[in-house]
Amino acid sequence: MSVYAVNKLCRRLVHDPALREELATSPETGLRSAQPPLDEDEIGLLLAGDVGALSRRGANSFLLHQLARFGLLGLDLESYGERIRAEWAPERAQRGF
Amino acid sequence: MAEIVGGFGVPHNPHFYSWATNGHPLAAEIVEMYEGVARPLRAASPDTIVFFTSDHYNIFFEESVPIFSIGVADSARGPSDYDTIPAREVRIDAALAREVQRHVVGEDFDVGASQEFEFDHTVIGPLSFLLPDPANGIALVPVFVSAFMRPIASASRCYALGRAIRAAIERHPAPVRVAAVASGSFSLEIGGPWIANDSHVGVPDPAWVERVVELLREGDVETLVAEATDAQLEQAGNAGAELLDWIAMLGVIDACAPAYLDVQPQFGHAYAAWPVA
Repeated sequence: MSVYAVNKLCRRLVHDPALREELATSPETGLRSAQPPLDEDEIGLLLAGDVGALSRRGANSFLLHQLARFGLLGLDLESYGERIRAEWAPERAQRGF
Repeated sequence: MAEIVGGFGVPHNPHFYSWATNGHPLAAEIVEMYEGVARPLRAASPDTIVFFTSDHYNIFFEESVPIFSIGVADSARGPSDYDTIPAREVRIDAALAREVQRHVVGEDFDVGASQEFEFDHTVIGPLSFLLPDPANGIALVPVFVSAFMRPIASASRCYALGRAIRAAIERHPAPVRVAAVASGSFSLEIGGPWIANDSHVGVPDPAWVERVVELLREGDVETLVAEATDAQLEQAGNAGAELLDWIAMLGVIDACAPAYLDVQPQFGHAYAAWPVA
């Protein structure tokens, strides 16, 4: 996974209402037009709203949360938090969370 | 000659402006705490504010991620990232900004110059409380301290940068009254593994918040700088290194106990003022 492509997409959507609109109405089209291109694995995880796996693979969590802030890819802030907590449950338990 | 009239520290939660204006249960507390800083800031009567903040991936990302940069445009608009905070154009003291950059580069700090940018909520959010009238006439010298993409500068380097900026201000020939303001949290996780159990944000290291506040109350900047290691800042969350903005601001003034300090531990941040008597 390139990570930078995912991070750049999430960063762009904060400043690009047209991208947000496209991700809301035609998410796969929007993801496939990203530059630099997302790979198939990244597209699959993004379409599934699997922010836990993306975070685990190194995508920037602050930027990922922008997807949920704007209600994209089936995410809202509540489901976003649940998925991040589930993915990082072992580490969170170790740290006493 | 230019004169330093105080140091001030504030948080920049992007939702505080909305909360303060729509009857949120914390509205009165937020307004009161910002006002605790705004009162001595107004009394200090600055012409220019050196504003230390950390870009949240809004200015620096694709072309470059500078460890430090100073905004040298004539003005900048914002916020670029939250339309829930009223947009405003903010004048920049470009002459002082360029003089500060020239001086600190001469002192071996590799500080870039940002010539065209928009402010994000970390600047416009606090200004909405501290200087609500956009026509206040006060200009900014924005100093961007990288805090979100490692590697980042050490606390001692940020403090030294603050001292160098102080020297630049003091040799500036114009009779300008200059305040230093820092914008940032002490412990905060946004969207990452260390969020709270009931939110997409959290304060992963509340004990560090207490420690920072204790050291600020004592005016013990030397110990604060020593204890603000990269590992400690990382443990404090993915926004934990915003403390570097406070440390740089403290470099501009003389270390002492603050005249005002209040804390919102549930957010991992504080409000403080060090007016120069």
